[in-house]
Amino acid sequence: MALDNLSSSLRETFRKITGSSYIDKNVIKEMIRDIQRALLKADVNVKLTLDLSRKIEERSENEKPPAGMTPQDYILKIVYEELLAILGKSSNLKIQPQTIMLVGLYGQGKTTTAGKLARFFIKKGLSTGFVACDVHRPAAFEQLRTLSEQTGAKFFGIKGEKNPVKIFNQSIEELKDIQVKIVDTSGRDSLDSDLLDEITKLKKAVNPDEVLLVIDATVGQQAGPQAKSLMDATGLTGVIITKMDGTGKAGGALSAVAQTGVPVYMIGTGEHLEDFEIFSPKKFLGRLLGM
Amino acid sequence: NLFRGNKDEIELSRFRDEYFEILLESDVSLETVEYILDMFQQKHVKQKRLKRTEAIESLKEILLEILLKAKPSVDLLNINRKPLVIMFIGINGTGKTTTIARLSYMLKNKGKSVVVAASDTFRAGAIEQIRYHGDELGIRVISQTMGSDPSAIAFDAIEHARARNLDFVLIDTAGRMQTNKNLMDEMKKIKRVAKPDMTFLTVDAMAASDAIEQATTFLKDIKFDGIVVNKLDTDARGGAIFSIAHMFKEPIYFLGVGQKMEELIPYDPQFIIKKIFG
Ligand SMILES: Nc1nc2c(ncn2[C@@H]2O[C@H](COP(=O)(O)OP(=O)(O)OP(=O)(O)O)[C@@H](O)[C@H]2O)c(=O)[nH]1
Ligand SMILES: Nc1nc2c(ncn2[C@@H]2O[C@H](COP(=O)(O)OP(=O)(O)OP(=O)(O)O)[C@@H](O)[C@H]2O)c(=O)[nH]1
Ligand SMILES: [K+]
Ligand SMILES: [Mg+2]
Ligand SMILES: [Mg+2]
Repeated sequence: MALDNLSSSLRETFRKITGSSYIDKNVIKEMIRDIQRALLKADVNVKLTLDLSRKIEERSENEKPPAGMTPQDYILKIVYEELLAILGKSSNLKIQPQTIMLVGLYGQGKTTTAGKLARFFIKKGLSTGFVACDVHRPAAFEQLRTLSEQTGAKFFGIKGEKNPVKIFNQSIEELKDIQVKIVDTSGRDSLDSDLLDEITKLKKAVNPDEVLLVIDATVGQQAGPQAKSLMDATGLTGVIITKMDGTGKAGGALSAVAQTGVPVYMIGTGEHLEDFEIFSPKKFLGRLLGM
Repeated sequence: NLFRGNKDEIELSRFRDEYFEILLESDVSLETVEYILDMFQQKHVKQKRLKRTEAIESLKEILLEILLKAKPSVDLLNINRKPLVIMFIGINGTGKTTTIARLSYMLKNKGKSVVVAASDTFRAGAIEQIRYHGDELGIRVISQTMGSDPSAIAFDAIEHARARNLDFVLIDTAGRMQTNKNLMDEMKKIKRVAKPDMTFLTVDAMAASDAIEQATTFLKDIKFDGIVVNKLDTDARGGAIFSIAHMFKEPIYFLGVGQKMEELIPYDPQFIIKKIFG
């Protein structure tokens, strides 16, 4: 599972701290170095890692533990709090009628996640429909249509139409009785200005309640810049991290979360539609640190 | 620009610190960055300062040397085997299907005949995706319905190529997480049945340290003979290529630099130095 390595190296660091009889500058310095290595190996953004470790170092040196708390435990608390801060706010998808647009890089899992979301909302008793606005990837239309057959979500798409805004506009009448609409879009990156322009226009036309960045756990240092450009183009409201069932350490994805400041709603843990979990920063961090 | 520089002298320890960060930010893995900077230090043990331009040239030499280790020594067009069967494996969404389409296009342009096996029978739309490419390129795709046996399809494609004296069989497979034992077993079965002459692993240039984990597990479980790194046209700097070149003896055959058919290019270290580091 993702993050296992980060988890074991942070735990090792924690063991060292709790095991040391007193805390001085050197112990803190060594701890900071260990944490830095652990984060860098997990693909957490370099600048974020340096910021984070600077904060932990400053707080560990300057703050006094409250009465009854050992300095060791207080340092662990600081590390926990600072890591929690980068994991972002805790927030979930609302179980109510809404329009959700999925955006992200090529092949990160947007279309599959559309299927997972449909299954999720349909199980909650909300009627769900897809709008097929990926006009670039070969067979994106058929992929989403198959997912609609598998989940019972209603499908709307116009085969061969190259303008996603037109597709969305025509879906409005077709899906007017549907409670949750999920708009699938093409993969894109921040260097392709035509595609960024396309998504900006589509976002305007759709006026969604949620714009979710779908990003996979293997992505590295460039996740932040990517996310930022999509943030600028569409105003992201949340993140879904996919492929958490692999060995990807999700450090890049979490850096993107830190950079955009929007919450992680869900994680994908496999190829099947039921491989989908609600994300809780505290639980996640608890597992990560074995706390 | 990584290799920006001027003629001012620079303290080499500071230079190393600076490039420690720059290389990590390019997704070169921590171990590989440390290796690169160790090499640099060894090369300059007697020096404390250097002109910045000289330091940069020296680092560039080390980087290029690492990249050259991943250069393939065989040319796919000159392997004396007919048909040459190549199977593509890799985790989900790394560009297997698009690579097969682009490679078919490249081979066809070189006058070679190709048949493709649509052996991803799992992912929604996978068969339609590869068939779409086949139709566009005028290349035969052997397929069945979703859920059917991928090995049988690979076998059929090879039979098809034998009967018609075709040059290449390219086998598309479903994206598989290296951590999923059942799915990996299915992939092994395809390999056992199809007995490909070569197996290529696709990796995504956006991936960082995980590209190494992927390659390590796939090598152990299924084995591969070559690597394709995709999506180098995105903001990915592709630093994982250095880690791959440093840690694996399996060469990198191709680089994916876009979704268009002509956007698969032979591995080219100079291109990576230029493309990734400006
Ligand atoms: N193992 C695993 N695979 C996943 C997960 N989510 C998606 N996938 C797989 O990732 C691959 C790409 O998924 P898609 O849904 O096609 O990705 P996309 O972002 O829509 O891709 P483009 O439309 O081409 O940009 C497929 O093989 C999916 O089955 C996950 O959580 N775990
Ligand atoms: N920009 C860019 N996109 C690419 C490149 N190679 C593949 N893609 C895109 O990445 C996405 C996934 O590519 P696929 O070829 O479907 O990947 P796959 O490995 O076959 O995916 P699964 O079969 O789902 O595991 C698609 O949107 C492709 O167009 C590349 O070199 N550059
Ligand atoms: K959440
Ligand atoms: Mg898609
Ligand atoms: Mg595929």
